[in-house]
Amino acid sequence: MINGNLKASYGADERVLNNRNKQMFVYGCLLLLALFPLFADDYAILMACKMGILLIAVVGVNVLTGYTGLVSLGHGAFVAIGAYATVVLSNLFTALPEGVLPFVVVPCAVAISALVGIVVGLPSLRVKGLYLAVATLAASFIVNFLIEQELFAPWTGGVVGINTPVPNLLGWELDTKREMYGLITVLAVLTLLGTQNLFRTRVGRAFIAIRDRDYSAEILGISLLRYKLMSFAISAAFCGLSGALFAYFYARILPEQFELDLSLELVAALIVGGMGRTMGPVFGVFIVLIVPELIKISMGFATGGDLEMQRYTAPVQEIVFGLILVFFLLKEPLGINQITDRILRSANRWPFARG
Amino acid sequence: MGQFVQFAINGLMSGAIYALIAVGIVSVYKATKVVNFAHGYLIMFGAYFYFTFAVVIPGFEGAPAWLASWQPAWMVEMRAGLSMFSPLGAVLDWVANLPRIVFGLLGAVVCNALLGLLIERSLMRPLMGQSVFAMIMVTVGLISILSGAASLIWTADAAFVPHIAPNTPLRFELFGTMIFLFGADIVNMVIALLIFGGIVAMVKFTKGGVAIRATAEDQSTAYSMGISVPKVFSRAWILASATGAVAGAILATRNGISPSLGLFGFSVLAIVLMGGLDSYVGVLIAAMSVGILEAMTQWKMGGEWAEIVPYVAVLVVIIFRPHGLFGQKEVERI
Repeated sequence: MINGNLKASYGADERVLNNRNKQMFVYGCLLLLALFPLFADDYAILMACKMGILLIAVVGVNVLTGYTGLVSLGHGAFVAIGAYATVVLSNLFTALPEGVLPFVVVPCAVAISALVGIVVGLPSLRVKGLYLAVATLAASFIVNFLIEQELFAPWTGGVVGINTPVPNLLGWELDTKREMYGLITVLAVLTLLGTQNLFRTRVGRAFIAIRDRDYSAEILGISLLRYKLMSFAISAAFCGLSGALFAYFYARILPEQFELDLSLELVAALIVGGMGRTMGPVFGVFIVLIVPELIKISMGFATGGDLEMQRYTAPVQEIVFGLILVFFLLKEPLGINQITDRILRSANRWPFARG
Repeated sequence: MGQFVQFAINGLMSGAIYALIAVGIVSVYKATKVVNFAHGYLIMFGAYFYFTFAVVIPGFEGAPAWLASWQPAWMVEMRAGLSMFSPLGAVLDWVANLPRIVFGLLGAVVCNALLGLLIERSLMRPLMGQSVFAMIMVTVGLISILSGAASLIWTADAAFVPHIAPNTPLRFELFGTMIFLFGADIVNMVIALLIFGGIVAMVKFTKGGVAIRATAEDQSTAYSMGISVPKVFSRAWILASATGAVAGAILATRNGISPSLGLFGFSVLAIVLMGGLDSYVGVLIAAMSVGILEAMTQWKMGGEWAEIVPYVAVLVVIIFRPHGLFGQKEVERI
């Protein structure tokens, strides 16, 4: 018998948190998140918000790449669409009362993002693997290009960017970062929970079947057309939600914030954290955002605030970012989730040796 | 009509350079089945190496004077009698720059080849036999490493780099319109096509080329027939980065050096997929047609729209022909 893993009923085996250590870990994390704004300073809140926004997008990429096995290098574009749709729609629907505006605008932005996701996903029916990676990359370049065009500048602001509205939820104005933290955290946790449960349904299992072998899945009666496009839509919708929060969080958005760097960051976070795992994006986002910050801080210490040396910070951050990605691919291809799994497993079987 | 010809010729000239860059991606893919997403950044390194060896090093104090500017007695004499802007003057300018151009090209090719070898040894070889996804993602990580390293090493603003060939303007009449070309562009095109042809011939006819093709066909069979597959891998990377260095030098003379050179690689990647990853002919055709399409877009819709032409083209081609125009269809077994 495996110690600490005894299930007395079928229900107990079916639970998401199916053992005590997992429960302790997840409830501990939730408690920490709830208490975080009480003791954190503004800087920590800012970082946490950034992580939350990125997390939602990475979960989106996880649905597509991790669970359905379709590689995308262009998901930054969906974040851009979500963000710009939020701003543009807010400026268009001025007739609505401010308190309900986000409840109309954000779902619309998410829906637009999902629709574009379906369009971008169309090549996935014909090609896969790296062809699809390049196709999504190409699509993201086109989207970014269109956003920057002078033609649409009256709506998108063009290259110089556009100011974003302050979200107003039924009269509650989220004009401080601390209030935004609440909104972002709730949505991020809900997103995680949503994906965890998605993969316990028929749809999620179809995605996994497609990932493991798409032709076999088709033979089993899974419609590739339907499920591949659905996967694209869901993943783009999450990215769109992340974009909407991005727009609400910052006072101004610029097209260059959504370029290749963001798409690479999303994929890197997923690989570092662990593909096709619920908690993977969480660990990945944490590493991908915290390490560059640590470099910035330690470079600041090392140079003593010397401006001449400060300009080396950004290249060093970039190099380290690439090195992290390469390191994980070479040494731990299944990501941090694999490491935590090992720890959890040995915790479950303690005091016996882990099997 | 005349304008059409002018833009078509411009398109062919940039298409040739696309083809030169694409040959690096195709060679690496043929040998190792890895699509190098970071190839554009290798090219950027080539451009920066060219800048270093052609501009920075001749500018040092200890460097011999003839390296920076070669002024033999006969040239000074010839120059004395020339009027401004004469074609001969441009040629003489080029001859004066010749030592540093040669030095720059050699330095760029050697350094870039070493860089390619380093990448292959340290990042690609440990992943041999692993999933293609991991290898491709390593090249994605390489994008960040290379672009960060470049901005760390070359902080100075890249100034003017010498043209590879004499940059005499050429004018002639065709269909009743003046066609206006630069000598350097034509020579660049010829260099690009020669290298492209040379590599295709090499892969087709030499022993090393046969090894590459055999490895592309079936790695383990190639191994068992006595072909050293790791050697083929490193050769392919060296080939790709050396041609990339030449392409980088050419691009540096055309558009100047900037970190955005790396992004150029993505449009070439699109072109490669359009032509078919493993077909040199297809890639050449795709490169030329994208070059012309770009020039036409520039003519009709303005320069900005030209930059998304390769991406739109690849999406259209991929939907109708998933493996590119001339790519081999992969047979999958369950």
